[in-house]
Amino acid sequence: MMPAGAALGYDATPPISAPLRYFLTAPFFGMLAGLLLLISPDVLVSRWTPGALALTHLATLGFMVMVMVGALFQILPVVCGAAIPMAGRIALAVHLLLVGGTVALATGLYKMSPPILTVAAALLGMALSVFLLSAMIGLSKVGSGTGSQRDVRLALIGLGVAALLGLSLALTRAQGLPLPMFSMLQLHLGWALLGGAGLLLAATSWIVVPMFQITPSYPRAMIRFWALSCTGALTLWSISVLLEWKILSLILLGLIVALTALFLFTTLVVIGKTRRSHPDASYRLFRLGIWSLIAGLVCLLSTLVSDAPMLRILAGVLIIYGGFVSVIEAMLYKIVPFLAWLHLTQSGIKAPNVRQLQPEDGTRNQLRIHTVALVILLMAVLLGNDWLTRLAGAAIVIEFGWLFFNMHGVLSAYRKTRTDSPARRYSSAA
Amino acid sequence: MTDITGVMTQDHRHCDEYFAEAENACLDGDWTRTEQAFERFATALEEHFGLEEGMLFPRFEEATGMTSGPTAMMRMEHQDLRAQVEEMRAAIARQDADAYSGESETLLIMMQQHNMKEENILYPMCDTRISDAAETAGTLAKRLAEAGA
Repeated sequence: MMPAGAALGYDATPPISAPLRYFLTAPFFGMLAGLLLLISPDVLVSRWTPGALALTHLATLGFMVMVMVGALFQILPVVCGAAIPMAGRIALAVHLLLVGGTVALATGLYKMSPPILTVAAALLGMALSVFLLSAMIGLSKVGSGTGSQRDVRLALIGLGVAALLGLSLALTRAQGLPLPMFSMLQLHLGWALLGGAGLLLAATSWIVVPMFQITPSYPRAMIRFWALSCTGALTLWSISVLLEWKILSLILLGLIVALTALFLFTTLVVIGKTRRSHPDASYRLFRLGIWSLIAGLVCLLSTLVSDAPMLRILAGVLIIYGGFVSVIEAMLYKIVPFLAWLHLTQSGIKAPNVRQLQPEDGTRNQLRIHTVALVILLMAVLLGNDWLTRLAGAAIVIEFGWLFFNMHGVLSAYRKTRTDSPARRYSSAA
Repeated sequence: MTDITGVMTQDHRHCDEYFAEAENACLDGDWTRTEQAFERFATALEEHFGLEEGMLFPRFEEATGMTSGPTAMMRMEHQDLRAQVEEMRAAIARQDADAYSGESETLLIMMQQHNMKEENILYPMCDTRISDAAETAGTLAKRLAEAGA
């Protein structure tokens, strides 16, 4: 058994290609989502149109899950002391399966094609089982701890449950399995957005927010109980939905909403107390994301009193695009230049600093383009105007193009510095 | 009575505050204040490293017999951080705000990734593996308080 501390070393750092291959592909799925809006703006008429389902999965699997899986290769050793075995090869295999699976799923949903959906289910099923299994093997060698270490595990479980539900849904569509579609869809949404993505956001926020924004800690009780309470509430809610206990499921949904709101408002209070008096663009992107998640939650609550289909689409846009995409972009602009710097420094090469690798102007422009695109998209949904939707699509293509351009720029600077400076300090880490 | 993890984590946050003061002063364009705050940060950081390298790490190595394990890696990262502190000092001497902000941002991420590993993995190991962990925590707290006074 590997001692926990062994994962602390330079040698345990996964190769830079492990996270970067995910970070560099994710923007292409964002661009595809923008293109889809540009070409067929009617996808936003209802959240059940084939186009809307394809769009949602380009954004969630193609962008969100793509970046999250890449980031986990980096986070697991640093936060949990767990090294994923053969990280480089596993990262490559999972990446190929995830890319293929996402393309197949988006195509299968768009064309409502049972054979393509079956292929998608197979590829995504393999991608996520290989990833989750390797992560579990890495984690099984270290203690579970509390706070972030435990909550990353809960998020992985949440992601696994969401994936299983998603696979069953895809197979129900493709092969006509006799499953309760509507209940399963609700559960899939709940586990994917809160049990998986939400919990991972929280688990990393407990650590990353106080450290990088120099703020007080989150309340201790929150770090200890929040994620556990969410997983518990989601589990009970799932049971009540499947058994059709309507009142109980409504009460539990209320509890889930209250827990989510508690996390979001606490985060706003915590980041408001930053000691850094001049917030950078990454901080502002993160704050935009949290406010957008709050607005999305309000839209979801409004669906209890109103049947307007627009509210659910607004909620989706605010939570996925305004919320998670903002927070993820904020993180990418911090992590990618740092990874380049770290790997150069570990090879004994004098690295340009992170602001030389990724100038702040690039991040500021990302914030601007993203905000404009979000506002246009929200207006397009509110006014139901196709031309506004097309305009939003174009803005989204530009946004993710800009993201790719900058991330690729960091990689080019990394490669150039490496070629220009042959010095090596730690031969084993090179 | 708090443990090693508590004492040392608290001191990380203490260093962070000096770091933020220096960054804020530089962004305000006040080089005198930047230099003063930066030197307070550099002193606090060096004090922290000194206690780890001189007392905490040797006790961990003695208790576990692991001399080329996590503590060796942490010492190596201290060297990287010290080099980064020198880059920041040089930027202050040149009064080069762009260089300072770039080097400072780099140090912050490097330092926080290092702190994460210590706070989540190494310090908890120290608390469980060092036989007189409570006494070590007390001594560390006392030495840090003296240094801060």
